[in-house]
Amino acid sequence: MKGTLSNVPIAKELDIVGARQTGRNIANDLGFSSVDQARIATAISELARNIYLYAKKGEITFQQVEGVAPVGLKIIAKDNGPGIKDISKSMIDGYSTSGGLGAGLPGVKRLMDDFDIMSSDEGTTIHVIKWLR
Amino acid sequence: MRIPILKLHEYLLISVQVDLDDQTAMQFQEDLLSKIHESGATGVVLDLTSVDIIDSFIAKVLGDVVSMADLMGAKVVFTGIQPAVSMTLIDIGIHLQDVPTALDLEQGLIKLRRELEEK
Amino acid sequence: MEKRLKNIILEHSDEIIKKWLEKLDQSKIAEYGETISQESIEQTNREFVNVIFSNIESDGGTDDLHEFSEKIVNLGWPLGYLTEGMQAFRSVTIKVILEDIGETNSNDEFLSIMEGVNDWVDPIKNRLINEYSHNWTNIVSLQKVALQELSAPLIPVMEGITVMPLVGTIDTDRAKLIMENLLNGVIKNHAEVVLIDITGVPVVDTMVAHHIIQAAEAVRLVGSQCILVGIRPEIAQTIVNLGIDLRNFPTKSSLQKGFRTALEMTGAKVVSESESEGDEIENILNSIEKE
Ligand SMILES: Nc1ncnc2c1ncn2[C@@H]1O[C@H](COP(=O)(O)OP(=O)(O)OP(=O)(O)O)[C@@H](O)[C@H]1O
Ligand SMILES: [Mg+2]
Repeated sequence: MKGTLSNVPIAKELDIVGARQTGRNIANDLGFSSVDQARIATAISELARNIYLYAKKGEITFQQVEGVAPVGLKIIAKDNGPGIKDISKSMIDGYSTSGGLGAGLPGVKRLMDDFDIMSSDEGTTIHVIKWLR
Repeated sequence: MRIPILKLHEYLLISVQVDLDDQTAMQFQEDLLSKIHESGATGVVLDLTSVDIIDSFIAKVLGDVVSMADLMGAKVVFTGIQPAVSMTLIDIGIHLQDVPTALDLEQGLIKLRRELEEK
Repeated sequence: MEKRLKNIILEHSDEIIKKWLEKLDQSKIAEYGETISQESIEQTNREFVNVIFSNIESDGGTDDLHEFSEKIVNLGWPLGYLTEGMQAFRSVTIKVILEDIGETNSNDEFLSIMEGVNDWVDPIKNRLINEYSHNWTNIVSLQKVALQELSAPLIPVMEGITVMPLVGTIDTDRAKLIMENLLNGVIKNHAEVVLIDITGVPVVDTMVAHHIIQAAEAVRLVGSQCILVGIRPEIAQTIVNLGIDLRNFPTKSSLQKGFRTALEMTGAKVVSESESEGDEIENILNSIEKE
């Protein structure tokens, strides 16, 4: 039941679309509603784009997990890029180092149920989970 | 990939039928602005019925195109945003406050006409 | 040892049951008698002790534990009924065993009897507690679903205008559900205007207001408009005192007033300008065919 369902490398812009489509299909298979599928796909899009923009390459991993609900979808976005200089600032709405809306990370946090971020100058790993209700 | 832009009298109609990737969105921004320029269109209806993801990047590109078109004298109305997309946008905190919206293409045209008359 | 105790218990089952029932009557459980008939208590007690014995005979693993705790949950009796019942059973049983064995002044023997009895009383007790809390959680979540189902109906009043009366307390889960209902309803009914009636919402705090504002914004994105109606004086006061900004969409004190505004928003268009608009669309459609 548990375990890694898929692994999508992010290296070029089009991989962002591939990652979110994979995520949407998995979410659909796990039984998430269409609204939650949109939330999950959008969160993946944000995480994958951040990898592409700020770390050039990395990967998105999908896992089925168990916890506060029997079924959850865990998404891990991992890269070996420069890391996030100021994590607490990056979580503020509107904070962007690239002229974006800066809605990405705080948005992902709101879209998903659990949000966990680790970043150093060796790279960034973000774990998010959406629970099936 | 390019999104087709239809011209009808002084209006431009666009119905987005593909999953918007970044490149397509940027290309569309460019195409629309040059189409406004060459046609002198005063109104644009952008129908998003078939779009099932708008993330913060695409939202920024689309929001920007509205402000840019405005500078060029064309009013843009978004139509057909799906409930799931709408809720997701609200969740990530994007409200597209300055963009007029309507339920569908027909309502969009009516809204455009009214907005243009008010001017 | 194990076997010997078990045999003693089974041999003396009638005596144990009798003493156990007596003990229960004396204890706190009798207090439920004020609201529940004596007959029903006696019947349930007998069922309880049967369940215990059938578990001893079969060394656990029967389904009746599950059924019995489900019954207790459905009756609305507290968990204490089960735990006190098992406690009483333990002390009665130990007494009966000691009487059967006769005088014993060996502490070791006494302890091993205690242990032996605990070894099978405790698992039964734990299973009852687990089943009870599991059943209870189930009931709570069922009730939640039931509540959600009746929570946010959408009423299409006339073409283009839909009303959504909100009743009861709004928490985050319900707010999400309301938003989903609302948006899907807007699309389904092709509603140009939605009246959200909060007459039945007892408290509007910042969280509730925040959810309502978000719903209204989401409604705007799909291409419709919200009017918030049913703002009672005390709610107007809290909204202003809390500094909540509702300026971005129209508010009205009553559904009637809101409906009039909604009519203006749609009606002015539909009635007085419908002809020219019909032409407009026709022109456009004609030209699509030509191109
Ligand atoms: N994987 C990453 N590696 C390095 N830095 C990152 C990474 N992800 C995010 N950041 C930093 O965190 C900041 C905030 O990210 P966030 O996604 O919230 O906003 P944005 O990407 O700038 O804009 P938007 O996502 O709205 O287009 C970014 O500007 C960037 O500096
Ligand atoms: Mg980003």
